[in-house]
Amino acid sequence: MIQTVKWDWELKPEKKWFQLEIMDIFKYKGLIKSFVRRELIAGYQQTIMGIFWLVLQPLFTTLFFFLIFSRIVKISTDGIPPLLFYMSGSIMWSFFSDCLSSSMYSFVHNAHIFNKVYFPRIIVPLSMVLTHTVRFLIQFIFFVIIYSYYTISGKVQPSIYMLLLPFLLVLIGTFAIGIGMIVSIFMAKYRDIEQIMNFLLRFVMFVTPVVYPASIISKSYQIWFWLNPLTPILETFRTAFFGTPLMYPNFIWISMLTVIGVFFVALVVFKKNEIKVMDTL
Amino acid sequence: MSELVIQAENISKHYQLGVLGSGTLKRDMHNWWLKSVLKKELLQENEANSKQHIWALRDINFEIKKGDSVGFIGKNGSGKSTLLKIISRIILPTSGTIKGNGKVASLLEVGTGFHPELTGRENIILNGQILGMNKKEVIRKFDEIVAFSGVERFIDTPVKRYSSGMYVRLAFAVAAHLNSDILIVDEVLAVGDADFQKKCLGKMKEVSEEKGKTILFVSHNLQAVRNLCNKAIYLDQGQMVDFGKPDSIISSYLIKEKVETLEQHYDNWDNAPGNDYIRIKLVKLIPQFINEINTIDIRTPLLFHFECWVINSRLLRENVFAIIELFSLTGECIFKVMSDATLIEQGLLSGSIHIPGNFLNNGYYYISISFMDNKGEKIFEFPASVAVEVADYRENTPFFDKWNGAVRPHFPIDLNFKKHILN
Repeated sequence: MIQTVKWDWELKPEKKWFQLEIMDIFKYKGLIKSFVRRELIAGYQQTIMGIFWLVLQPLFTTLFFFLIFSRIVKISTDGIPPLLFYMSGSIMWSFFSDCLSSSMYSFVHNAHIFNKVYFPRIIVPLSMVLTHTVRFLIQFIFFVIIYSYYTISGKVQPSIYMLLLPFLLVLIGTFAIGIGMIVSIFMAKYRDIEQIMNFLLRFVMFVTPVVYPASIISKSYQIWFWLNPLTPILETFRTAFFGTPLMYPNFIWISMLTVIGVFFVALVVFKKNEIKVMDTL
Repeated sequence: MSELVIQAENISKHYQLGVLGSGTLKRDMHNWWLKSVLKKELLQENEANSKQHIWALRDINFEIKKGDSVGFIGKNGSGKSTLLKIISRIILPTSGTIKGNGKVASLLEVGTGFHPELTGRENIILNGQILGMNKKEVIRKFDEIVAFSGVERFIDTPVKRYSSGMYVRLAFAVAAHLNSDILIVDEVLAVGDADFQKKCLGKMKEVSEEKGKTILFVSHNLQAVRNLCNKAIYLDQGQMVDFGKPDSIISSYLIKEKVETLEQHYDNWDNAPGNDYIRIKLVKLIPQFINEINTIDIRTPLLFHFECWVINSRLLRENVFAIIELFSLTGECIFKVMSDATLIEQGLLSGSIHIPGNFLNNGYYYISISFMDNKGEKIFEFPASVAVEVADYRENTPFFDKWNGAVRPHFPIDLNFKKHILN
């Protein structure tokens, strides 16, 4: 008699590209929570200032930007109070760069765990991004406090577009995790990527309107400049919070499509290789 | 007919050796170009290249039924761990398929994902989740886990302050309470003291027997495999040599590997078998050949010699006993000898025991050595430290066969004959 068995799972050398197993993420949501908790707690253990570092970091960066770019180099801030301008730029940028640079190390930094236990590997970059979202929100509260001071004294005009903030954050986070996941797969085999990425990240910061407004870019480069998915996001943020005019409102849609595209490619590449890369890690 | 839980078909795993260098990216891109863009089949590996490759597993087939506990035995590098890693979904097979039913939890190391800065309590929850439990389950079993680990007092202390023993106990305790259908355990019991090992094995036995769970177990501790498993798989150089009842599999393993088990020595104590108190430096079985016969037969006296590092005595100076046990292949204890108590502190402890000739029966034997404190608690046990084949010497005589009896001592029999005088 031939036994016909229905199998729960099957392990094969190759996976089809559409087997993304997205639903697995929900099964492991407890683990994501715990990872986020671990990152948040462990990161500030045995420090005297503890959680205050979260606020001090952007504060120092802001003061530093303010000193260099506003006082010494004298770059325009489009009439936005420099402190607010640099602070928003610095917390938005560090949200992106922290998400990216932590998720791209998913394999390299967790090799010891990945070598011993299976869980969908996407849990790691996801919890990294969520960790940084929590950090961002704490920094954002601090920003809002300073922002309210300027609003009350009438220096900036809040607008209804502020409600777009969650959408902007999702875009940044998705973009960062998308690139981070692709890079993490390649970095598992070629450590050179680390050097390249460190350089690229610094480069991207300077071609993104972080320390200057998009309006100071010369006309002929504007289009290229706005194709960077981060540009419309940061500029939309400024329009929403500071009331400056948005030069190319439609580019936010292009940015969104790029982000979705990158993320989808990332999912496929990641899922197809998450186990395969263990041989070269 | 009990139902299958794992079915492995033609599992092979292939590794590329050598260092990743500047040529790798070029070769990878070239291969990718050929395969994906030009749709050409890659050429077979040529002779020069084949030295850079190794088959860690080759065409492994087996089926495991529900409730089985299967021991995987074989030398280091035989592919045991690779196989378990494939079943655990940590690496992919190069070819072949594994199908299975039920939730798999693997314990390839204790304390995976433990974070030194988090407390014992937080780590239990995190580790439990990494191993596949959900938070509610962990919390429900929390007290049980803590009780099993015996670190109640330190549960709110960061684990970086734990001793290595406490760390291992806590980590195993979490794993022991996993709620999975298939549990994969790889050599994790090599750490921890003898008592705790026993407790863990007991727990695993309970899990497999009472709860009907399937256990896949890798260990160099053959005694443990024998006690825990109802099946064993013997791997050698990536090939499956044998699959069946543990006793016969272990026998064929010992027979095949016997050459290498007359002596074991370790150069430094970091990787030597043992625990925080005692580690093995040397175990050696020296045959005392008489009359230039250099095979070990039943007439040959044997000298078993051991040396070990006493890294830490649990008390400043402590009484210990050394226990030597000799087992037959089937796991019967032929004899057990205990030394007198000796006071030890940090240093080197050595000893030897003389097994006279004309005492053992022919067959395979292995010797285990253990140490006990004066409360009768085992400090450390090194099972199957050496294994030896004792041959018969009367080949080509009518008496050549295995004699009955565990031993074959040459006690003189007082035999007298008197010619009967008929009146």
